[in-house]
Amino acid sequence: MALYIVEADCISCGDCEPVCPTNSITEGAIVFKIDKKTCTECEGDFDIPQCVKVCPIDNCILPLEA
Amino acid sequence: MNSQATLSRELALRIGLAARVLPDTDAKALFAVLQDCVGLPITDANLSGITLTAFKAASAGALAHIEEALLKQALHLLKHPLADADPAPVQPEIHHLQPEDLAGSVRIACASDDGVNVDGHFGACKQFLIYQVAADHAHLIGIRATDSPDSADAEDKNTFRAELLRDCQVVYMASVGGPAAAKIVKLGIHPMKLSASVPIAEIIAQLQTVIAGTPPPWLAKAMGIEASDRFRFLTEARA
Repeated sequence: MALYIVEADCISCGDCEPVCPTNSITEGAIVFKIDKKTCTECEGDFDIPQCVKVCPIDNCILPLEA
Repeated sequence: MNSQATLSRELALRIGLAARVLPDTDAKALFAVLQDCVGLPITDANLSGITLTAFKAASAGALAHIEEALLKQALHLLKHPLADADPAPVQPEIHHLQPEDLAGSVRIACASDDGVNVDGHFGACKQFLIYQVAADHAHLIGIRATDSPDSADAEDKNTFRAELLRDCQVVYMASVGGPAAAKIVKLGIHPMKLSASVPIAEIIAQLQTVIAGTPPPWLAKAMGIEASDRFRFLTEARA
């Protein structure tokens, strides 16, 4: 249970990084990336994932298929 | 001797430009002042001898009430050949797009009021300059006026403007509002808001550096670079 950033759509705006309650988002070599080991999809902290909420691009942050 | 016959075109233009920086002074009024300063005919040589004090005192102090900074600017324009002054904006030539211009290129729109800088607000600029930019060349391919139907309200106006740029991948502007930016994004155009007015030439040079290097994935996608080719870029960047 984690989210991932679609590499082809991310514009590296960095808006998602500071809003992550588990600090799972970091800037990678190409675009930002989410650490799937620590991402909780904000469960327990917020009703909806905060990165998805602030991301300016539609369908750029999606749930990782289990 | 009719003094106007002795004025070169260039000198007349300089007098006109100098009059423009002075408030409430047209070229005719400035001409009268100059005539009082140096007599007729007005030439390059006698203009270069005018001092600020003489300039202020001429015609019974007609210009004395004007700020010194403006007077100095006007004198500078009068005394220096036009090559030293700012060149008048020229209407750039529009390039007819050839198929070979499209390879590895991106089409950008620049919100501009003066035609030289990206200085426009998305919802208020006079025109969008459209460029096709590749790593080794860039062409102005169109200037799109933003006259929208008068009846259109603000929301329609921004939609109208976004629709104007439908074929572009990126739009640069000095400012844009949130709802307007959302409309741009919805059409698949990437809005780029600059923090200050920047020359279009600089934007193009910057973009060309990016295209020539490793374009970020979203840009590569917008340029139509295949995912498999992009993968090559990505692995290179990771290595």
